[in-house]
Amino acid sequence: MGSPILGEPVLQLIDLHRTFDGVVALDGVSFEVPDGRIVGFVGRNGSGKTTTMRIALGVLQADAGTVLWRDRPVDGVVRRRFGYMPEERGLYPKMRVHEQLVYLARLRGTSKDVARSRATELLELLQVVGDPKARMETLSLGNQQRVQLAAALVHRPDVLVLDEPFSGLDPVGVDVLAGVLRSEASERGVPVVFSSHQLDLVERLCDEVVLIDHGRVVARGTIAELRAMRVRNLWRVNVPTAGEAWWDVVPGVTLAGRDDGAVVLELDGAADPQRLLDLARAEGDVVDFGPVRPSLSELFREVIAE
Amino acid sequence: MSDAATDRGTWRLVARRDFWVRLRERSFLVSTLINIAVISILVLARASSVATSGPSFDLGYVGSPAVAQGAVELGHQTHVEVRLHGFPDLGSADAALRNGSVDAVVNGNELRGFEGVNATLGDLVQASARNLAVTKLLDEHGVSQEQRDAANDPAPLTVDVLQEAPPDRAQNSAIAFIAVLLLYGQLFGYGIWVASGVIEEKSSRVVEMLLSAIRARQLLLGKIVGIGVLGLAQLLVISGFALTLALATGAIDPNLLKTALGTIGLVLGWFVLGFAFYATLFAAAGSLVTRMEELQNVIVPINLTILVSFFISIGALQDPNGRLQVIASLLPTSSALTMPVRIVVGAATPFQVVLSLVLLVGSTILLVPLAARLYSGAVLRTRGRVKIREAWRSAA
Repeated sequence: MGSPILGEPVLQLIDLHRTFDGVVALDGVSFEVPDGRIVGFVGRNGSGKTTTMRIALGVLQADAGTVLWRDRPVDGVVRRRFGYMPEERGLYPKMRVHEQLVYLARLRGTSKDVARSRATELLELLQVVGDPKARMETLSLGNQQRVQLAAALVHRPDVLVLDEPFSGLDPVGVDVLAGVLRSEASERGVPVVFSSHQLDLVERLCDEVVLIDHGRVVARGTIAELRAMRVRNLWRVNVPTAGEAWWDVVPGVTLAGRDDGAVVLELDGAADPQRLLDLARAEGDVVDFGPVRPSLSELFREVIAE
Repeated sequence: MSDAATDRGTWRLVARRDFWVRLRERSFLVSTLINIAVISILVLARASSVATSGPSFDLGYVGSPAVAQGAVELGHQTHVEVRLHGFPDLGSADAALRNGSVDAVVNGNELRGFEGVNATLGDLVQASARNLAVTKLLDEHGVSQEQRDAANDPAPLTVDVLQEAPPDRAQNSAIAFIAVLLLYGQLFGYGIWVASGVIEEKSSRVVEMLLSAIRARQLLLGKIVGIGVLGLAQLLVISGFALTLALATGAIDPNLLKTALGTIGLVLGWFVLGFAFYATLFAAAGSLVTRMEELQNVIVPINLTILVSFFISIGALQDPNGRLQVIASLLPTSSALTMPVRIVVGAATPFQVVLSLVLLVGSTILLVPLAARLYSGAVLRTRGRVKIREAWRSAA
C-alpha cells in the first residue's frame, strides 16, 4: 500500500453537476488524483461513476463544475494525452487488431512508427492471444478486453481514466492488468483512476479510494483513513474458557456479534480497550484480541447505509 | 507534419481510414460493377440507335406507284426511310402483309395493313395522296411552276427565339441523362454509406473512444471526406469507362468529345458539392439511431428529397426551362441534380448557375456546424432513438 503522504494532486474534479432529463446524475462531485497514484472509484450502479469519468474525458459536458489538469482547465489539447477505457467497450469489430491500435494512437497525435512499435509491445505485455492481423471480432471477449486496455495505453498517456477495467477478465487477466497499472503509476508516474465493483481488488491495488453515492462523493481517502473514519469501534475477542457476558462489567461495551467462537464487541467512545483486555485475561487464555479491520466492502456498505 | 498537440487535421486520418475500409468492402466492388454494367447497356443502346438512325418501313403498292413514291420522298425529308415493293395483284400483296415482309400496301384509294398501319407511315402515305390530289387540281387550273413553288415554300414563317437552344440538345440530353443517373446513384449510395458508417461507430461503441481523442467535427468531416473521395474516384472510373466505350462504339460523335468531357467535369464538380450537402444531413440523421434497422426511418426525408430532385431533373431533360425545373435548379436541396442537367442541355443562364452555387455552398457551410452539434449530442446516446431536440440540447 502507498504511503499516506499523497503526491501532488494533478487531476482535479471540482464540484461537477450533471442532470439528465430532470434526473440528477452528479450533485457536486469533487475529488483529485495525485501524481503517480492509483485511485479507486467505487459506488453502486447508477451512482454517477461513468458520468463523472465521461465528463473528465470531455465526451460529456458538465452542467456546472470544472476539471483541471495540473491547475489548467482540461481542453482538447490536454485531453489528447489522456488514456481512456469507456464502460461501454467497443472498437471497430472488422478492423485488424494491430492496425486499430495504431489508428487510435495516431488520432491522439502519436507518430506512425512509434504507434506501431508501441502497439506491438502492448499486445505482448497484455498477453493478447491471437494474430495481431486478425480482425477484432474474431478474438475472444477476454482478449478483446485486453486490446481495449491496450487502446487506452497505446499513446503513452499522461493519465489513465478506466471505467470498470477489470470486469470480464479472468484471474490471470486481472493480475496482468493490475501489474500494468502498478507499473504505469510507479515507473512512469502516471496517475490512474479506475472504477470497479471488485472491492477486494480496489483494496489491494489502490492508494486512495473515492466512494460515490447518488451523485455525491460520500467518502474519500486512503483505506486506512477510511477505516479510521468509520463510526463503529469493534473489537474481536476470543477466550475459549470465558463465561457468558463477562464484558458487561465494563461500561459502554455491547455485544455486536459472534464469529467462530469469538465475540465481536462494540465499544463506545468512553470504553477503554485495555480494560477489556485485562478482563478477558482474567477469564482465561486470550487466543485472539484486536480491533476488527473492516474490508473495503464492509466499509462501503456501512458508508452507503448511512 | 501535423500538430500533435491539437486534433486539427486529424480528419485526414479519419478520412484515410474510411476511404480504405470502404474500398476493401465487397459492396464497393459490386456497386462499381453494377454501375459499369448499367452504363454499358445505356451506351450500347445509344450506339445501336445512332447506327440505324430513325425508323424505316417497307411499303407495298398494287397498280400505280405514284402515291407510294410520294411517301418515299416525304419520308426522306423527315428522316424516315421507306422502301418500295411493287405487287402484281392484291392477293400477293396481302400475302406479303401476312408474312410481315411489308408494313402496309397502297391499293388505289385504299391503304391496307395487317392488323393496323403504323401512324408515321400512315401519315406519310396520306400526305402523299393529298399532295397528288392538290397537284392534279393545280394542273387542271394551269397554275405556273413559280406560283406553285411560292405556295410550297417549305418555310413560310421565319423562326425567331427568345433564347436559342444549342443545336446538339438532343445528343446533349442523352449525355445529361446518363450524368444525372450517375449523380443520383452516387449521391444516394454514398450518402447512405456515411449514415451507416456513423451508425456502425455508434453501435460498436467505438465512438466514445474516438470522441475522447478528437472532436465530433473532425470525426464528421473525416468521414464525409473519406467516403466522398471514394465516391468521386468511382465516378471517375465509371465516366472514363463510359466515355471510352461511347467513343469506341460511335454512341457519341467524336466532335462531341469536348461536351462529354465538360459533362464529366460538371458531374464530378456537382457531386462534390451535392455530396457535401446531403452527406452532412445523412451523418446527422445516422447519429440519431443506434441500429442499422432503424436507419431507414431517419433517412426517409433525405431519401425523398433526393428522389424528387431526381425526377425533376429527368423532367428537365425535356423541359429545362419549366418553372419547377428552374426553381429546383436553384434550391440547395435539389440543385446538385437539376442544375447539371440544365447546364448540359444549355438552358441555364450564367446568373442562375452562380446563384445556385452560392446557395448550395453557403447552405452547406451553415449546415456543417448544426449537423456536428446534433451529431455530438446524439452520438453517445446508445439506447434507442434520440430526438433532434434532445440531441441539440445535450451537445457537448
